[in-house]
Amino acid sequence: MLSQYAFIGVFAIVAFALPIIGLLMAWLLRPKKPNPAKNSTYECGVETIGDTWVQFKAQYYLYALIFVVFDVEAAFVFPWAVAYNKLGVYALVEMVLFVAILLGGLLYAWRKQALDWH
Amino acid sequence: MDYIRDFFINFAHSWTTWISGGLPGWAVTVVNFLLGGLILVMMPVIATLALTWMERKVIGRIQNRLGPNRVGPWGIFQAIADAVKMLIKEDIIPDRADRPVFNLAPILIFVGAAMLWAVIPFGRRMIGQDLNIGALYVVAIGSITTVAVLMAGWASNNKFALIGAFRVVAQLLSYEIPMVLSIGVVVLVVGSMRMGTIVESQWVPFCLVLPVAFITYVLAAIAETGRAPFDLLEADSEIVAGYFVEYSGLKFGWFYIAEYGNLMAVSAITTTLFLGGWRGPFAGAAPVLGPLYFIIKTVLVIFVLMWIRGTLPRFRIDQMLAFAWKVLVPAALVNLLWVAAALKLPVPQAVQYAVMLVGNLAILGVTLTLLGQSAKQHAKRHGLAGA
Amino acid sequence: MTDTMTSALPFNDAIPGAVLETTPNGLVVAAEKLPELARHLRDQQGYDYLAMVTSVDWPQYLEVVYYLCGVAQPKPGLVLKVRLSDKANPVVPSVIDIWPGADFQEREVYDMMGIRFEGHPNLRRILLWEGFAGWPLRKDYRESYYEEDTKPLKSRHPDGSHLWAEDRVPWKDNVTYPVGVDPDLWVSPQVQYRRIMGVDQGGNGSSLNTERVLVNMGPQHPSTHGVFRMVLAIEGENVVGLEPEMGYLHRCHEKIGERNTYLMNIPFTDRLDYISSMSNNLGYVLAVEKLMGLQVPERADYIRVIMAEFTRIVSHFIAVGFLFNDLGAYFTPALYGVRERELILDLFEAASGSRMMCNYMRFGGVSADLPEGWIKRARETVWDRLPRVLGDFETLLSGNEIFLARAKGVGHLSAQDAVAYSMAGPMLRASGVPYDLRKAAPYSIYDRFDFDVCSRPEGDVWARFRVRMDEIYQSLRILKQALDGIPEGPILAGKKQYQMRVPAGEAYSRIEGPKGELGFFVVSDGKANPYRYHVRAPTFINLTSLEKMCIGHKIADSVVILGAIDIVLGEVDR
Repeated sequence: MLSQYAFIGVFAIVAFALPIIGLLMAWLLRPKKPNPAKNSTYECGVETIGDTWVQFKAQYYLYALIFVVFDVEAAFVFPWAVAYNKLGVYALVEMVLFVAILLGGLLYAWRKQALDWH
Repeated sequence: MDYIRDFFINFAHSWTTWISGGLPGWAVTVVNFLLGGLILVMMPVIATLALTWMERKVIGRIQNRLGPNRVGPWGIFQAIADAVKMLIKEDIIPDRADRPVFNLAPILIFVGAAMLWAVIPFGRRMIGQDLNIGALYVVAIGSITTVAVLMAGWASNNKFALIGAFRVVAQLLSYEIPMVLSIGVVVLVVGSMRMGTIVESQWVPFCLVLPVAFITYVLAAIAETGRAPFDLLEADSEIVAGYFVEYSGLKFGWFYIAEYGNLMAVSAITTTLFLGGWRGPFAGAAPVLGPLYFIIKTVLVIFVLMWIRGTLPRFRIDQMLAFAWKVLVPAALVNLLWVAAALKLPVPQAVQYAVMLVGNLAILGVTLTLLGQSAKQHAKRHGLAGA
Repeated sequence: MTDTMTSALPFNDAIPGAVLETTPNGLVVAAEKLPELARHLRDQQGYDYLAMVTSVDWPQYLEVVYYLCGVAQPKPGLVLKVRLSDKANPVVPSVIDIWPGADFQEREVYDMMGIRFEGHPNLRRILLWEGFAGWPLRKDYRESYYEEDTKPLKSRHPDGSHLWAEDRVPWKDNVTYPVGVDPDLWVSPQVQYRRIMGVDQGGNGSSLNTERVLVNMGPQHPSTHGVFRMVLAIEGENVVGLEPEMGYLHRCHEKIGERNTYLMNIPFTDRLDYISSMSNNLGYVLAVEKLMGLQVPERADYIRVIMAEFTRIVSHFIAVGFLFNDLGAYFTPALYGVRERELILDLFEAASGSRMMCNYMRFGGVSADLPEGWIKRARETVWDRLPRVLGDFETLLSGNEIFLARAKGVGHLSAQDAVAYSMAGPMLRASGVPYDLRKAAPYSIYDRFDFDVCSRPEGDVWARFRVRMDEIYQSLRILKQALDGIPEGPILAGKKQYQMRVPAGEAYSRIEGPKGELGFFVVSDGKANPYRYHVRAPTFINLTSLEKMCIGHKIADSVVILGAIDIVLGEVDR
């Protein structure tokens, strides 16, 4: 059991090492001739106008918020699904209730037009 | 002959026996872990080398072209030539970028792509580690990609990259829900999150039992890998390359490798969850056939994804998110409940599966009808707007 | 002048004192009365369409030329001229309120001639860059390497050998800078996009305090169809402001045209809309033939129509294919279109010797007769191949759900707006205005053929796609009739000649190019070179409505809307 996660740990180390080694190799091989024009921000060949890091539209985050709700649910579905066969009909009823609340939430968000792009 | 029949496992045994002659037990484990890790970590790189060539050939044929045919026979070394180019290409970091984050993002995205391979069963007992939470692990590791992409987009300090990063937030998160739910359905039917067990229990491939979960997973997986028609993150015709527009050289290369690694990984996971993994005729008698079946099925899935890429135009962000939340999520939730109910029926498993199939087909039919109706309404609303 | 005299002139009973003089080439209008007269002409007289605005630098005065016509009820063209004798400070009232389509054209006149349009909201250079000094289309403007006003330049062929002026300068093909100028210290003049940033409107009215971001799409962008630049003001994914920037490919086509002899201009017109060089040739030779009063042999007319319709098919295939590229369909439809184009270009090559830059038409005919077997190959293409390929296109593209969802209702332009913005070609017809110059003002021998004008009422990207597809079918119809009816005979009126006498006068010829009304305005003073040569580029003027169509849509849509206009930068920037 623990050795399984030891493998994952070793695996993660190898996974980090490979791109770093690759980048080091590339660092040795590649030319390095920076100049201001080359290092300027790409925006189709003209200089950018204004700042990039601004208070941008919040629409994207609305989806992130709805996601959080559903992701909590996902974390609940998995243990439930694994233990489902060992539980009685109660497990089904309980999940129906749970999903019904979620669907209600989704419907609410839908009606509130949180799912539409403004 | 017996050795050949289960070649890979027997070879691994021989190897372990051989090195344990001169090493203590813990060292054997470490060496084996490192070796296994190295092989699996190379999977995204191998996938890129093979799949870029395949994609160019496939899309070339779709478009009445030959595809690469200059570097080696049938151009098979094209990918190697590209790899060499990326290695020796100058690395440009924009002056206004957030350097530490900018440099970390390509490493992290590769880690995310590589770590998936730890739980993918290539054949019976041929798996990095058959974790008892394998399916959940897949979902969890998949989220690393989201973070890495967001880091890349934000740190570039570029407007196209920024829009790409924002789209990542909306798109990858939205499609994670249907993906998780459809994996959840499979876990529910099998009663285990072990990838090995999931394959073992598919005496009939789950795509035939749970078509809704299958289709939902494939669509969500396309979106998660950011491939057409859901390639809004990098939408080359709109935001040029999206989140990795400022990357060059090998840093770009790691994004590229991660993309193809993820493509291969989701195809492999689709194969594992829905297409019966390494199962196939005579795979029980000759387990050496298992990996072969596995690879054939995976490549088939990849081919279909490439076919889609060569055919369909791209969705728009609002349509795409609406599709996730208004179509896939409700369908997946209803499917989950139906399958849970079917599992509680006091009948043999085959009958339960039949009930699931009927329900799935019904959900599919209702969803398609509703979609068709809304498309008609949309057409009607705009059909005569200018008259 | 007394009142009785002026009231005899047209329209002066409605707007007294507006028309000062009638000339064979148009009405001369008093500058201060122009908006009033324009409004009267639009509202009462039915001249709802401003086809062209240009200007001529005459020795005594600058002349602004307006070419009007009726689209709702077809009317023959009416030319208005405003003469400005104060060359140092020429000012005309803008007609942008009456015809919004004057927007870019007035800016172009300002850019080229330095005529200021009072009341224009955004009067700045459009084709040239902000730091440019001088007004290049004025007769006194002299470019670098200037030798003499007209070609052929005497110095180029001293004794049988040729000599390039570029080789004679001491710094060869390098450039020098005036004393005191260091190019590394040079900063380009900044344009403040205040209008689309909403700076002047005071915030965006939203309760959440988010900021607009200006994004440059182009010039180095995969889907701006060349070096075109859109400055987008975005909030999230939504486009709230847009300003097109063009001129990156500007090469002073019109100034070159004035230096060239008439014949030398034909290959230059190939480079305008380089997808459809045959149409450009046709438009130009028609204008000069109008001046010369030339009659074209019948066979040459048939060949011209065949070439022009093949060009339309080529252009529409490219337009449809690359529209899908902009929609994100990884090159497949585009390459299918390009394949058919290549096969038609084979025909062009067989006839003219060149695939893209055909240089095929001549004044009074075409440069070479069709080679043997050409008609047979063309018949195979028209009868067998293209209908089959069109079937493939329909199955692959027309019913695609994603395409329908992306295209329907996107970039809507109503019929009134389309006319007001001087839209032309498929853009105009897709907005429900069935106006096709081949029917409305037939040129060449188009009145002999039986075909329909394709029009859709929707006015969105889908309608533009559909109109283009339908026009391919109609072009095939025309081609079938033309290939059946082509007679034997000469292909050129008179004999071939390098230098022809073009009598003094003005001519504006309009043809229905694949992308819209392609007009050539040629002024001759009887010499060997045109006195003034202006191209009414359809896509340049179609771009005027881009901002209106894009606002309120997404970034992704703006690319698609631009793709549906089907711009070619060679023509936009000239």
